[in-house]
Amino acid sequence: MKRTLTALFTGAFALLVLSQAALAIPAFARKYGANCSQCHVAFPKLNDWGQRFRDNGYQVPGQQGSEKTAFETAIPVAFRTNAGYSLYGTGGQTASGFHIYGLDLLSAGVLHKNISYLFVYTPRIDEPAADYNGPAAGDNPAQLAAIESAAVVFSNIIRDKLNIRIGRFEPGFQLLSSKRLYYILQPYEIYGFAGTHSSFDFSASQIGIEATGRFKPGLKYALGYINGTGANPDNNRWNDVYLALSKTFGRGEGQSAGQRIGVFGYLGWQPTTFVDPIVSPGGDINGKDNRNFYRIGGDISLNWHTFNLQGMGFYAVDDRDFNDLDPALDYKFWGGVVQLDWAGLPNNRLVGSLMFNWVRPPGYDDVHKVDAYSALVRYYLGSWSAVNIAIHAEFTHRVAGTIGPVREDLVTILLDFDF
Amino acid sequence: MRRIVLFAALLVGLLAAAAGTASILAGQKAPPITQVGVQVLGPQRLGPLPPVVHPPGNPPSSAKIQLGKELYFDPRLSADGTISCATCHDPALGWSDKGPTSEGIHGQFGGRRAPPVSNAAYSPLQFWDGRSPSLEDQAKGPIQNPIEMGNTHEAMIQTVSAIGAYQSEFKAVFGTGPITVDQVADAIAAFERTVVTTDSRFDRYARGDHNALTKLEKEGLEIFNGKAHCTGCHWGPYFSDGRFHNLGLPPKDPKNPDVGRYAVTKDHRDMGAFKTPTVRDAARRPPYLHDGSEKTLESLIDFYDKGGGKGPNLDPLMVPLGLARHEKAALVAFIKSLDSLNPEVADVKAPALRDLPH
Repeated sequence: MKRTLTALFTGAFALLVLSQAALAIPAFARKYGANCSQCHVAFPKLNDWGQRFRDNGYQVPGQQGSEKTAFETAIPVAFRTNAGYSLYGTGGQTASGFHIYGLDLLSAGVLHKNISYLFVYTPRIDEPAADYNGPAAGDNPAQLAAIESAAVVFSNIIRDKLNIRIGRFEPGFQLLSSKRLYYILQPYEIYGFAGTHSSFDFSASQIGIEATGRFKPGLKYALGYINGTGANPDNNRWNDVYLALSKTFGRGEGQSAGQRIGVFGYLGWQPTTFVDPIVSPGGDINGKDNRNFYRIGGDISLNWHTFNLQGMGFYAVDDRDFNDLDPALDYKFWGGVVQLDWAGLPNNRLVGSLMFNWVRPPGYDDVHKVDAYSALVRYYLGSWSAVNIAIHAEFTHRVAGTIGPVREDLVTILLDFDF
Repeated sequence: MRRIVLFAALLVGLLAAAAGTASILAGQKAPPITQVGVQVLGPQRLGPLPPVVHPPGNPPSSAKIQLGKELYFDPRLSADGTISCATCHDPALGWSDKGPTSEGIHGQFGGRRAPPVSNAAYSPLQFWDGRSPSLEDQAKGPIQNPIEMGNTHEAMIQTVSAIGAYQSEFKAVFGTGPITVDQVADAIAAFERTVVTTDSRFDRYARGDHNALTKLEKEGLEIFNGKAHCTGCHWGPYFSDGRFHNLGLPPKDPKNPDVGRYAVTKDHRDMGAFKTPTVRDAARRPPYLHDGSEKTLESLIDFYDKGGGKGPNLDPLMVPLGLARHEKAALVAFIKSLDSLNPEVADVKAPALRDLPH
């Protein structure tokens, strides 16, 4: 029983932790000698200033051309990890333990005027795995090795109106960033949800090319052409496209000031059969019988003082070939998230948040309906430049399925460490 | 076929991106003057001021500095003998004036506040619009400005040359030959480079005295360097990027707006942009902004907290800050900690006319 529980516990963690990796880049704070709250409402969530900095290719808006390059600053490398204690319970059973939840290695900077880069690597962590028997046999790692981001940004090709991002990056249709939310263990559920036979992940970093830009007053766009599978190399010959538009009313970017609404659409193809289990040496992709799927949705972000209310939802249709439950029907579902964030104390050293996630699969799917209620408190031990240490407490109550629903509770207290 | 079209589109996109960037790189001209000097390396950390760098063409000497000080305080440089440099750049008023804008000759008022002379040695460009590349160049401007000192360079030189004591002092500093406007400017600039505030409670804190700032002031420093984004522009030991920003101040005269930096560059992006002033000693010289429209530090911080004014061409660095009352108080406290403790600068007294060279 203990082994089962531990496996359940670890599996839950693997699912949660692998689904996200938060980004914040202390290398920038080191470069500018600034406190992290210059760009973040509270790390890792961007404020309006930080959003403009990111949109401008990691250059201070209006100051491109007079930035120190990555060759003139301290080594532009940063780390983020978090470790703590978690208590997991379901069906009257509990499991608890100390864990390291992940590790990100980041590097970012300006290479030349209007040319910048972002690189994020997550190394494989073989511990703590329920079936851990040593590195050779560790087939259930706490974190998979991955290049989460490796992108170059060409900014201001047309001033403010056209920037090009090439490589692997976080696509711009994620108006609510899955990588910069306060929650460490609770993701946006709908992002990782897809038809029962589809591996598409809305929150995954993607390889491709993206154009972004802004127009007065407050209109922004992101248009992308990506492989859509997150795989490297791609597993099908069909690429995906997306378009996101957002409009901010009032001053700001809708992150910490101003009111923002946005819409997005995503059209993609996924293989339904595979010729071989691996990609051929010649680089040919092995996925066949591609079928399409799409997502269409919107988001809203409302700000009042230091409160930020965000909402996002989308409607999704996956081709019937992705539907294991009823192959005669397309798999249609919808879902979203509502999140209320608050920041307090000088320099926003205290953060609180409430979040509700929901996923609504087709009526005949009695397994995948999800309701998740989350809350968190983060307290930053200091207001330092380029170092963040936060005590983070997070709770989630998650209910999955309609018939004999699985109820899970997860409480975590951890130290979020970033430098 | 479809794949080929998609591939071609992708290729065109990539080439366009590369070509765009290449054209940007190829089209680069010599660095604009705004990038000369301290800004060439971009944002720097807050800290104590480094030693002043004197231009090779105007090396300082005690005699030259003394001469420059006398000229700085001498109202005879103006057309009617009533206005000196110190009239608008008064040591007793933080090396500025009471504002909101400066009163020049015959009771005329300019449209801008007098920038402080203290620490101006660290500013790579002078005047609110940066039209002067040096203190030497700047010193010549107000003399012949019709609403400041209202003189001509020729008339000013005649006046100075007729004063016997000045003749001997100029001879001692610059050698034989007629007194020139360049010599006057060099002497004044040499004096102004001594008006440097190297010591404040912040500087002591930055040098390692952790008790030099109160808890509230330390909080203010964190907010200044964080949530309030002040260091987006007010960075480095000089607490200024030396660059030009439009804070959204609506023009006082919409039919004849003050175009700021645009007058120098003719770049529409500089319309209504003015040089970032230093925050050092700011508490000693209200009111604030280039037009003196904010009377107190508190109202100034409220202005920034709202994301600036409602005028056009707002700088992209201006965003609402969401500061709490306590955070604003901490910012004010920190800014006051930047008041200099240099008596040799703060206590400079304007000599009486009878004590000036005759």
